[in-house]
Amino acid sequence: LNPRHLIWIRRGSQAFFLLLFLFLLIESRLPHDVIIDYSLAVTSDQDLAIEGPVGFFFQLDPLVVLSSLLSGHHLIKGFWWAIALLLVTLFLGRVFCGFICPLGTIHNLLSFVKPALKGERMVSANQKSPGQRIKYFLLIAVLFGAVMGTNFAGLLDPISMLFRSVALAVMPGIGAGVREVFEWMAGSNFKLLNLTAYAEVLLAPVFGYVYKTFQAAWFIGLIFLVVLFLNRIRPRFWCRFLCPLGALLGLFSRFTILKLEKDQDRCTGCNACTRSCQGAAGPEPGKQWENAECLVCFNCFDACPEGALAFRLRLRSPRLNKKPDMGRRAVLAGILAGVSIPLLGRLDGIVHKVSDPRLIRPPGSLPEGDFLTLCQRCGLCMKVCPTNVINPTLAEAGMAGFWTPHLVMTQGYCEYTCTLCGDVCPTGAIAGFSVRDKIERPIKIGSAYIDRGRCLPWSGNGPCIVCEEHCPTSPKAIYFKNDVVAGPDGAENQVQLPFVDLKRCVGCGICEFKCPVKGRPAIRVISAGESRSLENRILL
Amino acid sequence: MNEGITRRSAIKRMLGISGTVAFSALTGWPFGGVVDLRAENTGRRFMVEGRGRTRDYSVKALVNKVFDEAGGIARFISRGDVVAIKPNISWARSPDLAAATNPEVLEGVIELCYEAGAKKVRIADHTIHDARRCFAITGAGSVAKMTGAELVFPRSSLMKEMKINGHRLDVWPVFIPLVEADKLINIPVAKDHGLSTLTLGIKNWMGGVGGRRYALHQDIHQTIVDLAQFFKPTLTLIDATRIMVSNGPSGGSASDVMVRDTLILSNDQVAADALAAGLFGIKAEDLGFIRLGEKWGLGTSDFRKLNLKEVIL
Repeated sequence: LNPRHLIWIRRGSQAFFLLLFLFLLIESRLPHDVIIDYSLAVTSDQDLAIEGPVGFFFQLDPLVVLSSLLSGHHLIKGFWWAIALLLVTLFLGRVFCGFICPLGTIHNLLSFVKPALKGERMVSANQKSPGQRIKYFLLIAVLFGAVMGTNFAGLLDPISMLFRSVALAVMPGIGAGVREVFEWMAGSNFKLLNLTAYAEVLLAPVFGYVYKTFQAAWFIGLIFLVVLFLNRIRPRFWCRFLCPLGALLGLFSRFTILKLEKDQDRCTGCNACTRSCQGAAGPEPGKQWENAECLVCFNCFDACPEGALAFRLRLRSPRLNKKPDMGRRAVLAGILAGVSIPLLGRLDGIVHKVSDPRLIRPPGSLPEGDFLTLCQRCGLCMKVCPTNVINPTLAEAGMAGFWTPHLVMTQGYCEYTCTLCGDVCPTGAIAGFSVRDKIERPIKIGSAYIDRGRCLPWSGNGPCIVCEEHCPTSPKAIYFKNDVVAGPDGAENQVQLPFVDLKRCVGCGICEFKCPVKGRPAIRVISAGESRSLENRILL
Repeated sequence: MNEGITRRSAIKRMLGISGTVAFSALTGWPFGGVVDLRAENTGRRFMVEGRGRTRDYSVKALVNKVFDEAGGIARFISRGDVVAIKPNISWARSPDLAAATNPEVLEGVIELCYEAGAKKVRIADHTIHDARRCFAITGAGSVAKMTGAELVFPRSSLMKEMKINGHRLDVWPVFIPLVEADKLINIPVAKDHGLSTLTLGIKNWMGGVGGRRYALHQDIHQTIVDLAQFFKPTLTLIDATRIMVSNGPSGGSASDVMVRDTLILSNDQVAADALAAGLFGIKAEDLGFIRLGEKWGLGTSDFRKLNLKEVIL
C-alpha cells in the first residue's frame, strides 16, 4: 500500500471514530428527544430506555474492562469488544491509538494544525525520553489500585476523561453561551429576533433544554484544557507520557507482526521521519524501533523521501521486537502507589464507617465498597440524567471517590420512574433496574427530613404544601397534621404541618428541589436510609 | 469643509445611538413585545355535561357530542385561528393514573379545531416533571404526532413577564404560547389536591406561568383566580373521564383513580369547576377558588343558572 493512502485511511478512521464518539455522547439522553418527533407509546409499561449503544467506547476500552475485572471481579457487558481490540493489538500494535482513540485524534489534530516546534527542535523533541515510562507507572498504579479495591482507572483513562470533559464541561459551557443568546433573542422587541429564537428547538436537543450545571465542572474543563495545552510542549504529550491505556496497549504490542522495516543504505539522515513521529518511537534507521511506543500513525512511512522506511506484516521472529521500556523504578513505584492510594482512600471511613450525608448515590448503585471498584467516573450517568441532579463529587465521597456521581437535590431530583443512569452505566457500578424495581422494591437513595425552623408552616410564616404536592410515592411519604401555629403578628394560624413517613420516603429529593426555600431548603434529603447499604438504614 | 470624524466624536455618537436604543428597549419592556390577541370572551354562558354510559364508548365521540350540543366547534373557533390548548400534563404518569389529561380527550379537541379550520393548534403546559418525559408518558407526545398539533416545549425563553393585574399578582412570567393565540381552550383533568382540595380548571393555570410558582401556594386561591382572570380561556373542558380522588395531585397508584366517564364543557370557568366538584362529593362553596372566582366576577358557582345541557353516549 502506498503510504499516502495509509495516511488517508487513518484520517478517515480517526474522523469516523471521533464523530461516532461525539454522536454517542450526544445521544446519551432521553430517547425521542428531538422536539419535533414524539413517537413513544402512550399506555405501555415500557420504560423510557436508551436505545443506542452509548457505552460502546467503554466496552472497547481494555483498561475499563481489565480494571473492572481486577477490582470488582465483574466482566462488564460488551467486554468482548475489548478482547477483540487486545487481539488486534497483539498483531498490529497500538492501532487503537493511531486509528480509533478519539482523545488521541484530538491531540493529533491539535499537533497537526499547529505544530509545537519546528525543524531541528522538533527532531530533538521527538527523541524517546525516559519520561515515557510515566505512563507505565500510571498503568501499574491503576491496576494495583484496582486489585486493592479502588478503581481509579477512569481518572486517567482517555475514553472516560474525554467523555467527562466534553459532557460535563465543554458541551454545557457552549450550551450556556448558546442559551444566553436565545434568551436575549427571545427577550428582544424585534419580531425577527423573536422568531429566530425558535432555532433553539434545533440546538436544545444537543446542548440541553436548560442551563446544565455540574458542580466543579470548571475543574474538569481546566484539566482538559491543560491536557490539550500539553501538545505545545510535545506532540501528543498525553499519549506519549501519561496515557495508561496507551501503556497497556504498548505492553500488548510486544509481539506485533506489523513492523517498521528500515533500509539503512537508503537513509540520508534527513530526520523527516523523526520530525513527523507522533509517539517518539525511534523511526529513523540506525535506531531500534520502539514498537510499544509506536502509535501506528504511518507518518514516518509517508514522510521518508528516500523510501527507506516501510511498514510490513512479518510473521517471522516476533521475538526480535523490542521489549517495552518500562523501567524497574516505574514498576516499583507503580506498585507502591497502587497499593497505598486505596489504603489512604479508606482512611476517611466513608466505606467502612459512616457515609457523608450528602453522598447520595444514583438509584441502583452498589454498596459503597463495591461501587468504588467499578465506577469509572466517566460522567455518562451525569450526562444522561434528565433533571441534571447527578453531579461529580469533590469531597463528598472522599479521596477514593473523587468525581464519582452523587445527587445534588438543589439542582434537580431523581425522577420517580426514570431508569436511565442504570441503563447506561458501562461497568454496572449503577446496576441496571426497571421502573418496577425502583417503585416496588423500592430503591431508596436516602431520606427526607424537615427543617422546622425554615419550613413556612412550621415557623408560622404561612401555608405551603409544595413538598407534599410533589411527593411521587403513593400513598405520599409526606403527610399533614392540621394544627394551629402562632404567626409573626401573634395571630393563631390554622396550618397543615408536613411530616415525613420514613417507611415510604425513597429519597428522590423532589421535595428538596421544589421547596420555596432555595439554597438550603426546609426539607432536605440525606443518604441515611439508603437501601444499598445495610449499615446506613434507619428503620428496622 | 468636510471634517474627519475624531475618535472622541465617534465614541460620543455611538454612545448616543446605543443609549437611545437601550432606553427605548427599557421603556418598552416587558409589556411591549407581547400583545394579547384574544378577543374578550363574550356571548351567553352555557354548560354541557357529557357522560359515557355505554360500555366501550369512545371518548373521542363523547368529545364530539359535547361540542355539538354546545352549538358546534365553529361557534368558538374561526377559520384561520391559532388555538392554544392548555392540558394538565405536569406529571410524568401514564394516562390510566389520571394524573394528566386523557390523551383521547386532547386528540378529540385538536381534531375538532382543525375541522373548524384552525390554522395552528398548540399544546402548551409548563410541566412539573421533566417535559420530555411528561410528553412521552402522558401520551401528549403521540397526540401531537398523530394530529399534527405543535407541542410546545416550556423553554425558559418562552416565559415572559407580563402584567397580570390581579388582586394578588402584579407582574409574573407567563408561558407565552398561551397568550399569543386567537383562542384558548383549557383542558384540565379533575384531581384531588393537598392545598386547594381539588385541582380543576382554575387551578390548571398554575401550569401557564413560570417563575417562582411554588410561592403561589402561599395564597393559592387568590393567585389561581388572578391567573384565570388573566388567561380568560375561550372554553374550559374538564376531563373527568378518570378522576384522581386521593393522593393528588401526583397520585401514582390505580387505587387513587375513579372512572367517572364525564366531560364538562363551559365558557364559564367557575361554573365548570363548581359542577366538577360535585363529582368528588364536594360542595362548590367549600372551595376557596370558586368563592373568590365568583366574587371577582369570573363566573357563577350556581351552574344551574346556566343553560345546562346533558348528553349521554
